[in-house]
Parts: sequence; C-alpha cells; structure tokens
Amino acid sequence: MNSNETHAAQIFLSHHDFVKGIALKYAPWPGLMEDIAQQVFLEFMAKESQWDLSKDARPLLATMTRHIAMRQWRERTRQQPEVVQKLADHIRLLAEEREAPPRYEEEIGALRDCLKKLPEKSRELVTLYYYNDIGTPEIAGQVNMKADTVCRALSRVREKLRDCIHQAMNRGGHAHA
Amino acid sequence: MLETDTLIQHYLEGTLSETEAAQLHEMILAQPELGERLLQHFEMDTMLRETKPLAVVPAPAPVLLPKRRFTFATVTSVAAMAACITLAGTWLLQPLLKVEEEETTASVAVLTRGVNLDWESTAITPGTPLSPGLLKLRSGIAQIEFYQGARVLIEGPAEFRLISSGEATCTRGKLSAHVPPQAKGFRINTPQGTVVDLGTEFGLDVNDASAEVHVFKGEVELHQASEAMQSLKQGQAMAFADKGQMLAANASNFASLNEIDARSQQSQRSQFESWLARSAKLNGDAGLKLRFDFQDDEGARSLHNHALNGGLIEDGSIVGAAWTEGRWSGKRALEFRNVSDRVRLYVPGETAALTMSVWVRVNGLDRAFNSLFMSESWGDRKVHWQITREGKVRLGVAGRGSVKHADYDTAVFFTPERLGRWTHLAVVFDPSTQEARHYANGELIARLPLKDASPLKLGVAELGNWSDRRNQGGVAIRHLSGAMDEFALWDRALSSAEIAQLIK
Repeated sequence: MNSNETHAAQIFLSHHDFVKGIALKYAPWPGLMEDIAQQVFLEFMAKESQWDLSKDARPLLATMTRHIAMRQWRERTRQQPEVVQKLADHIRLLAEEREAPPRYEEEIGALRDCLKKLPEKSRELVTLYYYNDIGTPEIAGQVNMKADTVCRALSRVREKLRDCIHQAMNRGGHAHA
Repeated sequence: MLETDTLIQHYLEGTLSETEAAQLHEMILAQPELGERLLQHFEMDTMLRETKPLAVVPAPAPVLLPKRRFTFATVTSVAAMAACITLAGTWLLQPLLKVEEEETTASVAVLTRGVNLDWESTAITPGTPLSPGLLKLRSGIAQIEFYQGARVLIEGPAEFRLISSGEATCTRGKLSAHVPPQAKGFRINTPQGTVVDLGTEFGLDVNDASAEVHVFKGEVELHQASEAMQSLKQGQAMAFADKGQMLAANASNFASLNEIDARSQQSQRSQFESWLARSAKLNGDAGLKLRFDFQDDEGARSLHNHALNGGLIEDGSIVGAAWTEGRWSGKRALEFRNVSDRVRLYVPGETAALTMSVWVRVNGLDRAFNSLFMSESWGDRKVHWQITREGKVRLGVAGRGSVKHADYDTAVFFTPERLGRWTHLAVVFDPSTQEARHYANGELIARLPLKDASPLKLGVAELGNWSDRRNQGGVAIRHLSGAMDEFALWDRALSSAEIAQLIK
C-alpha cells in the first residue's frame, strides 16, 4: 500500500460502524451487513485517488453504502421464494421510512455496557446463541424447553438490552440492564 | 399458528419458511407497529453478533459446546491486544487451563544438508531431527550433525544406524567425520570393530569384507573383540582385517565439505531449472486461478499472479512481510513475523470446488489459529485455512443463513520436530466426492466428509494473517510465525496424483 492508500484505509476504518449503520437501514436482511461493508471498502479503496480525503467522508460513504446495499439486497432477495421477497421488501420499505437516523455507532458502544448488567441466566442465553453459535432448536432440546420458549426468552433479552441502551443514550451516563 | 417472537426469531436466523413468511407479512400489514418491532430486534441481533467477548467461556452443559474459536473482542490497538492476551491468559482462562506438560523429543541428531538424496528407508529432508534408528541411503551425500557436536558426511549407498547423540553404527558405505573437542569419545561401530574418536577428523569405509579407517587429523582408537586397542594418528590408515598393518591415509577417497558445497550448488542449479520448466507448465493449467511463485524482484511489495487463466485475480499486495531465503539457495520466500505481516489479495465470485497448495516453514504455533489463507471476516461460505495451536491443519468453511460453519481438521501434524522445516501443504474441497482432503508433502493425511458442499466465496483474503471487519477496532491475532513460498489456488479439485506431482 502507498501512503494515500493507507490514509484512505484509515479513514474507512474510522467510519466502519457508520457504514454498517447505513447498511442496516437499507438492507435489513440477515448476514448482509458485513458483505455490504466489505464491498464499500473495496470500492472506496479502488477509487481512493478520486476522493478528497481532507473532507468529511461521511456523505460519500453514505451514498456508496446506499447504492451497494440496494444492489446486494436485490441480488440476495431475488434468490428467495416470492412470498419471502414480498415480506423482505416490505420490511426494507419500513426501514427506509424510519425518520430516526441510524445510531449504530453510539448504540453498539452502549450495548457492551448493558450486556455486563444482564442477569446471569440472560447472559448465558446470549453466550449460547450469539457467541457459541448454538441454534434455538438445539438450545431447546438440551434444556428441555419448547423452541418457542427459547425464542421468547431471546426476544425478551433483546428488548431488555434495547431499553437499557435507550436509557444510557438519553442519560448520557452508565447503562443499566 | 406460530407466535410473533418465533416468527421474528426465524427471520433473524434466516430460517423463515414460505408459510411463516406469508403469516408474518400478514401480521405486519395488520399491525404496523410489529414492523418497527421486527426492525428493532433485527438491529439488536446484528449488534449482539458483533460483541463477542475476549474468549468464549464454555457453556455450563458440556453437550452444548460447539467447536469453539478463540476470538478477541474489540480492542483498539496492538498494545491493548497484548494486554488483553495477558488478561485472558492470567485471569479469564486461568481456571480452565491445566498445567502444561513440557513436550519431549527422542531425537539425537539432525540432517543438516543433503545432495541428490535417494533414501531406501523413509525419505527425510534437510532440517529433519533424527531419532535412533536405521537410515538406508541408496545414493547421494547426507550431512548429519549429532547433538553432542560430531558432524558426519555419509555417502550412499550406505546403512547407518543412529544409537545416541554420541554413537552410531555403520554396516555399509563410506563416511567422514569431524569430531570437535567437545564431542570427544564419539563412537562408530562397524561389524569388524569400533572407532572411538579423541577429537579429530577421520574417514571410514565399510564393505562386506572389511572396514578401513583413515585419520586426517588428530587421533582415533580402534577396538576389536579379542584384540588389543590400536591407536591411529594423523596420516595413518588401517583395515580392521589386517591386524596392525599401517597404511597411508587417503582423504581424497572420502567426501569433504568442499565437495558437498560444489555438489550442492550443482544440484540446486539443476533443481531450479527443473522447477522453472514445471512452473511454466503449471501456469497454463486451465483450473489454476492464482499462483504466486515468490520469485518477484528483491524488494518488490507485490506478488505477481502467474496463472495464465487467472485474469480476474490481481497481484497480491505485501504488507509488512520481509523477503527471505526459500526452499533452496536462490529461491525466495516471505517471512511472517509481526502481527501486521500479510499478503492481501482478492478472489472474486464463487467456486464450487477448490484446491490450495503452499510451501510453508512454520517456526512456531504461537497463536490459537495460525493463518495460511484466510478470507476476510467470517460468514457466508468464506474459507479459513489455518493451523491450530495444537498443530492440526484446519479448513474452516463458514455457513450461510441458518447453516452452521464446518471445520475439517487433520490429526496433529505439526509436532515440534516439524517446526522450522519446509513443508508442502495442500487442501482440496471436492463437492464431486463430497469430501475435504488434506495433504502434507504430497501424501494424503486426512479425508473428511463435507457437511455442506455448496459453493465457496473467498473474496478479500490474506496469506499469513487475518482481518476481521466485523468488529470495530480490534481483530483477533492469527498471524503466521514462519515463512511461505509458492502459493497456488485452483477452482477445481486436484487428484491425489496431481498433488503428489506438485512436490516433485
């Protein structure tokens, strides 16, 4: 890498979470956010000589991310059955129409604090599902619960964490789960 | 009818059936607030996936444990990473670790050089530590250094048995030995008697009829059953069978270091020419999409892709890694030492089958995962080819949607004796036979059934290191400690015979 490329890569990395937030807004489909962020990085780096890196990169990255998100959304969802495509398009429309700007960058920082405050049982569930990659049917089978119950429990944990993040953001102080 | 939470969960997991999708869509149309709720869960789900802790602590019920990957959570600098490693090592993981037992080795000597070696016994290459046992050399010259300090040049055909770090038996062939003062007492047994060196240089020629000892420098003792010990000094020679009749030592009958140097150079030239000819043929293989030969100009910061049909794959970009000597003198390689060292490349599109091949010299397995070829990040059929800390070679393939990832591991291959030596590794992802195959030095070492044979997506990738764009800030340290030479990638599954050809 030459020094310009290094500088461009640094700028991208400092806006990585911003890009992810935009990607989530325009392509709310499981597993798509990472691919979009990666593609934005590649295209940003491929044309790095065209960018004025002394200016705020957010508008440029927002536009690039939106275009790439739309493109990848189309590619990914068109492989789905029609009824799933309709649902996905509806959800994307709802996401686009939301007035609030993406707050991914701030929220993920607060989430780390909130996770520490979760009750032990909830933390165990997060560990099993999110960190140990064990699916809900397997968790249900091992702990003798119905799969619906595990889904409900995960749903409650996410809602609790969301409340905690909102409290933290509104207070600007420590988060409590 | 499924509950709302279950439907949302299935959307997040990517396992929504058509019936469930229709049901969820209907519900969102009827209750618009449900759409907002789904989006909130989606955002939280995505963020939670990005908050993996420093190390995943095992779940309470052992039956629930999946294959764990050692990962680090967000850290913002290399210094912070180092601090986290210390923390993980001393505090977080301490209760989980047993006292580590020191590894041991039975080796007594090492094969340091070889010219045109053709082994009748198991083939060994320079750098191989040698345990007690029989070596049968059909032809060529082997230089063996004993751990006590003696250096022996053996000329094939020869049969030579290592006994300890200060003793060996020669039943056939010629050898010359250099024994420094610290190795005084070094012994070589023959069928006719034993030579005990008192700090010197001597030659030994053993054939069916007799054995001759020639002393070039210093003094040796000859011991024979029912005979008095005989002392031989510089310039003297004797046949065991001749009982006391002195001859003049003849150094020209034995291989010398100068000779091995000259023959090494000649052998390397011929090896290099042969390699060049095979390279040209290999580059034209229709399935070969990427081949770095690591012979780019000294100081170059990119690796040229020599595959003639690899038009879509650009040259690799060297970051940090320094040039070093490769598998032979004059052959170049890249040394990976630091956490920053890597070669970045981009492999576009998907591939149904895959073969990767590399020459690697692993200096140590310092990390939980030591990278060979790693797709950036993880997920969506990406590929991680790496060596685990315990020495297994692993092909990891990420899942897609609800399908989980799969690891295809060899048994422990990189034992301490294999470190520091050039080793050829190859891995094949073969959907036609539904198996993953691992090869080492041209031989099949593992054959594993594929859990998911759907196409692979390599994307942005690195040799010798790994980047994870999923976390803000820090990335798990998985750099290789060692050197790499000649990397190739095919979009087809090579056969075992083709893999064996690669190391010729």
